[in-house]
Amino acid sequence: MTVQPEQADVLTRSLPLEMNCRALDEERFCRCCRLILRRSDQLRDGWSWEALQGSEGYLKKTTLRPLPAGWGPEQDGGESPGAEPAALQPDPLVSTGSEEEDADLRLPSNSSSPVLQWEYHVLYSCSYATPVLYFRAFTLDGRSLTLEEIWKSIHPNFGLRLQNCPLNAVSQQEHPLLGQPFFFLHPCRTEEFMGPVLQAALDHGRPVNYVLSWLSVVGPMVGLEVPLEYSTELHAAGCLSSTDPD
Amino acid sequence: MADDKDVLRDVWFGRIPTCFTLNPDEVTEREAEAYYLLLPRVSYLPVVTDKVKKHFQKVMRAEDVEEMWFEYEGTPLKWHYPIGVLFDLHASNTVLPWNITVHFKNFPDRDLLHCSSNSVVEAHFMSSIKEADALKHKSQVVNDMQKKDHKQLWMGLQNDKFDQFWAMNRKLMEYPTEDGGFRYIPFRIYQTLSDRPFIQKLFRPVSPEGNAHTLGDLLKEMYPDALTNDGEVKRYQILIHGIEPLLETPLQWLSEHLSHPDNFLHICVVPVPTD
Repeated sequence: MTVQPEQADVLTRSLPLEMNCRALDEERFCRCCRLILRRSDQLRDGWSWEALQGSEGYLKKTTLRPLPAGWGPEQDGGESPGAEPAALQPDPLVSTGSEEEDADLRLPSNSSSPVLQWEYHVLYSCSYATPVLYFRAFTLDGRSLTLEEIWKSIHPNFGLRLQNCPLNAVSQQEHPLLGQPFFFLHPCRTEEFMGPVLQAALDHGRPVNYVLSWLSVVGPMVGLEVPLEYSTELHAAGCLSSTDPD
Repeated sequence: MADDKDVLRDVWFGRIPTCFTLNPDEVTEREAEAYYLLLPRVSYLPVVTDKVKKHFQKVMRAEDVEEMWFEYEGTPLKWHYPIGVLFDLHASNTVLPWNITVHFKNFPDRDLLHCSSNSVVEAHFMSSIKEADALKHKSQVVNDMQKKDHKQLWMGLQNDKFDQFWAMNRKLMEYPTEDGGFRYIPFRIYQTLSDRPFIQKLFRPVSPEGNAHTLGDLLKEMYPDALTNDGEVKRYQILIHGIEPLLETPLQWLSEHLSHPDNFLHICVVPVPTD
């Protein structure tokens, strides 16, 4: 099924007809974000738009997640009620780590509940003409997690190897709008993996939401889920029109 | 031009006389004396303060020494900003030497990035260079360089070797003659009076009509409040490497000659001092 150019434009406004659509300009970034926000509201997925002057702004999402099993010895042998979902099993790879390693991940003993607060921001990089993902995590006491703790929390089986993921380097960076330390996925390789995605969509006459496609790739690497339900709405060619109140 | 090369040298060798004092709340075994150092404007605090750390460690027990960080009048100093930018932004109109307080406890991790080693500084530095080239040349020049060329840029900065650095950096300053300049100018405008740490947006060195954009043009577009209108009292100083270039200066020239080694033009807008 092909999508008429006008429909594609209305749906996603993100796929110009020329070949060289790898670059994302700020206007298109904002349009992609608006569509994501609309869908997020429907799905109650928790994204919001933080506006700055003019049309400038970024997507933000905060989420609470329980600590994974094997994070560290439970305080005083007890567990807070309902702290961990039954599905999480102790991870043998983590729990057989050295004493010293576990010690790094131990929460302060006065920590009241084993939950972490995660924060994700999607900003636009004008230097690279791509979206950029900034993220950080806190214990509820307000202590920020180190990168090592974040990795252990998301990918207990992979340890630190994902830090050297070829697609993106993760490092600490000052948030360009808030001035606070965050971790971020370096955007310099984004064009490399987005290129084929956009090309494939173009070849099949499918509209694509650049920001959504990008987020679906990089999000899971840092513990951010992007449910499939996002895509179904944005690619349902027959359902949306510019007059749809949605 | 011989004159222009002198500018490059003057920028590179700019120094700020600094006095480092230990935070009085640190636990010491005996009194810590202040430590004086000439800091290179174009470098970064962790790269040039090894001696400061060693000096104060001598009067402290190892268990009282955590990650070192610096503060000026209550403001933690962001080590990932060039030293000259920190000075111009926070202390430009104060009496020298610049008085910095040294801390070894209570690292403010809501304000400062961690810096466990010089390789962290190197990564930041190279990241800035790459970003600058993305703006200037769509990353073509920096991607054509080999790893050893990148290393030469960092080593030149780390070891204060002007010739070694510029032998490689000159490639990042080239552009096709017919273009009249870079694609976009890498710049950041810093101000103290806002939550936003800096302004960085796309800006071309040449107008569509072919006229060279000036420093004044850039500010008019990005931060018009910084400029003084006719008849008004001047409220702000616009500092690059501690000086106020004429607003008529072509931006392309500034980018080629007054950028920091990270290839960014760092511009500080500070209130005019009220005596």
